[in-house]
Amino acid sequence: MQPFDYVRATSVADAVRAFGAAGPDTRLLAGGTTLYDLMKLGVETPAHVIDVNGLRELETIDTSQPDELVFGALARMSDVAADPVIAGEYPALAESLWRAASQQLRNMASVGGNLLQRTRCAYFRGGEPFACNKRAPGSGCAAQEGIDRGHALFGGSEACIAVYPGDWAVALAAFEAQVDVEGPHGPRSLAIEALHVEPGRTPDVETTLAPGEIIVRIRVPKTPLGRASTYHKIRDRESYAFALVSVAAALRMEGDMVAEARLALGGVATRPWRVRAAEAVLRGQPFTPALARRAGEAALSGARPGRMNAFKVELGIRAVADALSIARQRG
Amino acid sequence: MNMMPFADLARVDAHDKVRGAVAFAADDARPNLAYGAFAVATIGKGRLASLDVAAAEAADGVRLVLTHANIGAVASAGFIMGGGYGFQSHQPLISPEIAYRGEPIALVVADSLEAATHAAALVRATYETAPFAVELDAPGVEVVDQAETPLAHFIPPVAAGDADAAYARAPVQIDARFASAPQHQNPIELIACVAEWQAGRLVIHEGTQNAEAVRHGLAAALGLDAGLIDVVSPFVGGGFGQKNSLQGHTVLAAEAARRLARPVKIVVPRAQLYHLASFRPANRHHVRLGADRSGRMLAAIHEAQAQTSRHDLFPGEYATTSARLYGIADFRGKDELLRTDAQTPGYMRAPFEHIACFAFESCVDELAYALGIDPVALRLANDTTVDAVTGRPLSSRHVGQCLERGAAMFGWERRSMAPGSMRAEDGGLIGWGVAIGTYAGLRAPAIAKLKLTDDGRVEIRVGVHEMGQGVRTALAAVLARKLGIAPEHIVAIIGDTRAAPQHLTAGSWGTATAIPVVEAAADALLARLAELAPGGVSNREPAQILRAAGLPELAVEVQGKAPGQPDAIYDRLKAGLPSIGGPVYPEFVTYSYIAHFVEVRVEATTRRVRVPRVVSVADCGRVVSPRTAASQVRGGVVWGIGAALREASEVDPRYGGFLNADLAEYALPVNADIGAIEVAFVDEPDTRFNSAGVKGLGEVSMAGVAAAIANAIHHATGKRLRELPIRIEDVL
Repeated sequence: MQPFDYVRATSVADAVRAFGAAGPDTRLLAGGTTLYDLMKLGVETPAHVIDVNGLRELETIDTSQPDELVFGALARMSDVAADPVIAGEYPALAESLWRAASQQLRNMASVGGNLLQRTRCAYFRGGEPFACNKRAPGSGCAAQEGIDRGHALFGGSEACIAVYPGDWAVALAAFEAQVDVEGPHGPRSLAIEALHVEPGRTPDVETTLAPGEIIVRIRVPKTPLGRASTYHKIRDRESYAFALVSVAAALRMEGDMVAEARLALGGVATRPWRVRAAEAVLRGQPFTPALARRAGEAALSGARPGRMNAFKVELGIRAVADALSIARQRG
Repeated sequence: MNMMPFADLARVDAHDKVRGAVAFAADDARPNLAYGAFAVATIGKGRLASLDVAAAEAADGVRLVLTHANIGAVASAGFIMGGGYGFQSHQPLISPEIAYRGEPIALVVADSLEAATHAAALVRATYETAPFAVELDAPGVEVVDQAETPLAHFIPPVAAGDADAAYARAPVQIDARFASAPQHQNPIELIACVAEWQAGRLVIHEGTQNAEAVRHGLAAALGLDAGLIDVVSPFVGGGFGQKNSLQGHTVLAAEAARRLARPVKIVVPRAQLYHLASFRPANRHHVRLGADRSGRMLAAIHEAQAQTSRHDLFPGEYATTSARLYGIADFRGKDELLRTDAQTPGYMRAPFEHIACFAFESCVDELAYALGIDPVALRLANDTTVDAVTGRPLSSRHVGQCLERGAAMFGWERRSMAPGSMRAEDGGLIGWGVAIGTYAGLRAPAIAKLKLTDDGRVEIRVGVHEMGQGVRTALAAVLARKLGIAPEHIVAIIGDTRAAPQHLTAGSWGTATAIPVVEAAADALLARLAELAPGGVSNREPAQILRAAGLPELAVEVQGKAPGQPDAIYDRLKAGLPSIGGPVYPEFVTYSYIAHFVEVRVEATTRRVRVPRVVSVADCGRVVSPRTAASQVRGGVVWGIGAALREASEVDPRYGGFLNADLAEYALPVNADIGAIEVAFVDEPDTRFNSAGVKGLGEVSMAGVAAAIANAIHHATGKRLRELPIRIEDVL
């Protein structure tokens, strides 16, 4: 780990100011569960670290607003997962949190920082000698002809096929969350789907955040889709593992008819992957296992598998179908 | 002798471990400690062309940078299976040659761990690269027939009867190929040591299963008198074979400590551990099993290939295990070693037995289905009392009891034979599988020094290491019962070369090595007490007799060895060399046995495989410590579940080394993956093997688990899966 400056911010404005003064070689420190890990690996090498953990005003969990759920960016994953309103009314949100990482990590990690978790691609994390355009732009992509069992079916490019590893952002995509940021040019708000970008030719650019912008809040519109929802995560072990395939599914039923559906995929794409075409397959149709399977096929259509991850297409179809059945039973 | 079963004694170090009071080497924080960190090679093979350590040497807090250019007279201590002391013969930093990716090229020693780690990242190397091969089928892999190497002297190829002819004649033939990915032991305690010179003596604190080899290996590597070296390893936080010999980092820590005249600590980080220590080699098997139509197994051929390194021959003992599962008169085995550009692989829990039993017991299940015979009945029908390979009697074999008792505990009679015929309420598939496992009954020489003091304290010094298996509890159990004293009055000084010669503790021989000698020492002590108490010793505590005789203390020393071993074996013991006897003894052959019954649930759609319950019944002779023995079996079953369904060290042939080098990406099972594990023991002493009647347990507990799981998956799905690990893509 290379030496770095460390300061504690006293307010959001103070953090924005400090970031501006320190320059682009700066990282914000929230839970630290990704940043410290990557700093120890030598993948992140900031010269300046601004600790925002003292900003208590960003720890709020507010479910009492009439139209939306509001999560301060520093609310801890474990606290949001355990909130009775979230657990009871929005099971997909709660499950996306408690099925991530381990209890110890969830106790540290913030819901704002979690959105910015970086990929688990071994060629990215492993440093030398692996080629990685995300870590060292222009060096190539070792994953393309490598061990790609965990790599993306969607959203990849010649430069990068690394999977976005998070769960929470996938569930937020299904619920059309908004992300509030503050930065050197003032506050702004963006849809969660506008936060992450596909790698294209610049895999080192992962979000639309400008240097010095800080996520301060996540807002989720309240919706009757919440209750009949699930975050279905398929992985190599039942805890402490990233998804092979995950599905955020939510339904609003009118009798046996699907009035509205939301579907987003994790573990298979370079960013949280909402699948509107699959939602359209469900809309206005009577719910049956066959319909759920067709939605899965629509969700996984257009997948571009590599050498070792083709199984994730069929697994993804089945996971979507199962997720929809689970959601249906809750509706 | 007392032939009663032992009482259930709580683990004697449980409270200390739960409270974190046990100090492991990595916890050591003695004054003036310096910290070491490695820079490692990033090429698959070749030679250092240049090595620039100027920036590292100039970094804050750095005291020393060791490289091949300044290492001086340090030598290799040799390979433990080649007459030496190390896990491999390739000692890093003594030449510019790079044998594999991940091997150390520089050791940076600094005032803090952070400074050392940072400076290690500043080391810059350029290389002359050479072609390398890391996969079994890669061009450049050299195939060696083990029978044509010196290894054949102590691991002779199995050749009983005429297996090829008998197989050719067999009316029913099973012919199948199996494979397993390489795997890493991943003990939770990282490999770590503290080296300190104290008044001309070198003292090493290190979690090791083989303190004597560390001692003598250091003497060889550093050109020292072994009499000036002490190695202290009171507790090991999990060894599983990875800590069974001298590691290259210990040599370098000792050299750095000598140069700096201050203690040096090295804790190998998890990611580097995948390359700085041993692993379970990639391996594959061709098994042929012939039977008659009644299910009588007539002949078998087991041909195995396993990875080794370019610089050492790590032996394979696959066929020698599968030949011992049943009484098959005609059996031929062949072990081939494939030289690859990796560190030398090594002994990882049930190193051969886990895979041999997976392969062979999968074939036995196939035979059961080919004949329509219940898999338990088929196994019982092929039981034996004679070792078919040598014709000698087995000192004990109760695998039939293991099967019968396990079947009853599991409810096997409710199983329907047809694959896919058992369903759960949620629509998932249920599969029930069975397999047996076996492991050689081995024993090493040991010297026990037992001392009673007039305050009632009993001190035992003996050659054995505590790596979590519970040998301290076993020692307390036998001494408390023999001497009629409370376990808390017993102090065991073990894993310590200052106390007694410390033979390698591995191969499940720890109990059979230490316990009979310690019991004999207790008998000798009681005999001396009887001489001191002409009125008799009954109803008197040992310390009372001692005080009445006016003696402050009484000490005895007893030594013991495996049947048939010459007295010269004690010289090998004292020289830190492997001195293992068995499983073939002059009068008999000894093996431990187990039967595993496994239930799997295969999810109806996404096909996740879960293992909700396992029943395991073991024949390990007399159970000295029921509590820790049951824990051993549960641990072995967990290991089997990991090996069967999850664990694989990934190899990218373009880069060499291992890719998924951390605990997040190397999928060990977690608590949520483990269901009920019910354990029982036959608990019949094997007094032909040794006076205490104990056989080994730690490794047999894992043998056969993977086969029982694979057989259960077949029962659930109708699929025969013959490559480990079996993952979700294999059952979709």
